[in-house]
Amino acid sequence: MAFEMPDDLAEKAAIMREFGRRRAAGEPVSAELHAAHVNATNDRYATGPEPGQRIPDFALPDQNGALRSLSNLSGPNGLLLVFYRSADW
Amino acid sequence: MILERSGLRIAAVSYDSREILRAFAEKHDIGFPLLSDHDSAVIRRFGIFNPNIAPGLRAHGVPHPVDYVVAPDGMLIRKYFVPNYQHRVTASAVVLHECGAIGEDAAAVTLRSGALTVEIGFSGAKAFAGQEIGFFARFKLEKGWHVYGTPLPIAYTAASVSFDDSRIARQSFELPEARPVKIRALDETLPIYGGSFQGLGSVLLKFPFEAGRTVLPGKLRFQQCSDTVCEAPQTITFELPLTIEPGIAATPKK
Repeated sequence: MAFEMPDDLAEKAAIMREFGRRRAAGEPVSAELHAAHVNATNDRYATGPEPGQRIPDFALPDQNGALRSLSNLSGPNGLLLVFYRSADW
Repeated sequence: MILERSGLRIAAVSYDSREILRAFAEKHDIGFPLLSDHDSAVIRRFGIFNPNIAPGLRAHGVPHPVDYVVAPDGMLIRKYFVPNYQHRVTASAVVLHECGAIGEDAAAVTLRSGALTVEIGFSGAKAFAGQEIGFFARFKLEKGWHVYGTPLPIAYTAASVSFDDSRIARQSFELPEARPVKIRALDETLPIYGGSFQGLGSVLLKFPFEAGRTVLPGKLRFQQCSDTVCEAPQTITFELPLTIEPGIAATPKK
């Protein structure tokens, strides 16, 4: 699926960089900068498939290197599939 | 864990490498699969790639964080999402909605009027500002009595539960589908509930939200009728206590 890159990407990147820099340096983050960062990140958010639709097929390696798909992840009543940002930061 | 006892498994997807996920799983003793979508291909296929984060930034490639409850055949049953990437739905809300289980120390109140008893409670005792917490309403009617569901002519009042608080950003409440029954005294067919039934809802707390113990005021609306008598619509107000946990200050990285 192709994703349209927002035309204000550079502007958003500047906000995110400044937010990240201040946080890393332990400097105070103003309420305005915090809000701008949150708004830039959440802009035009999407939540994917709707209830009643089928989710896309997938096969991904787990932390032990085993390839996993819905059929070998699901319990008898299904799967809670959590998409999160990162385990690294 | 409660989810597994009700036949659900859990798996989590991120754009991290397998090595990072292995180290994370060991450090935090995680027993469920952490899947590595290192090129964000599956994140894109689900349509939840976050396009706001420019290439070159650390977070380029992350998804909008959504939780999906998927049937074994791949059909999506439900999803959980809070429209602010820094906040999540509470685990207690997911457990309430998926398993019907309620957290320890979660507050509940019992309201009574005539033939109707309703117990209303939160899914858990605590939440952070910006989180979504679940709530349930268990209705019980004496034999021969009913309350109304939807869709309903405006002359009648359907059973509902809502919270009245400016600190709430969004809320929902759903009852199972009501049974259409011909009411002899009215000579009309209307959707009704009788006996015991349960509705589930969610409340999204605003951010910021002052930490500490608080109460959220709400109201129960209904109209109870028997085959021969129909009472006037009623509103019963209630308050449910909730502890708002203090936010965790962001830790500077390395």
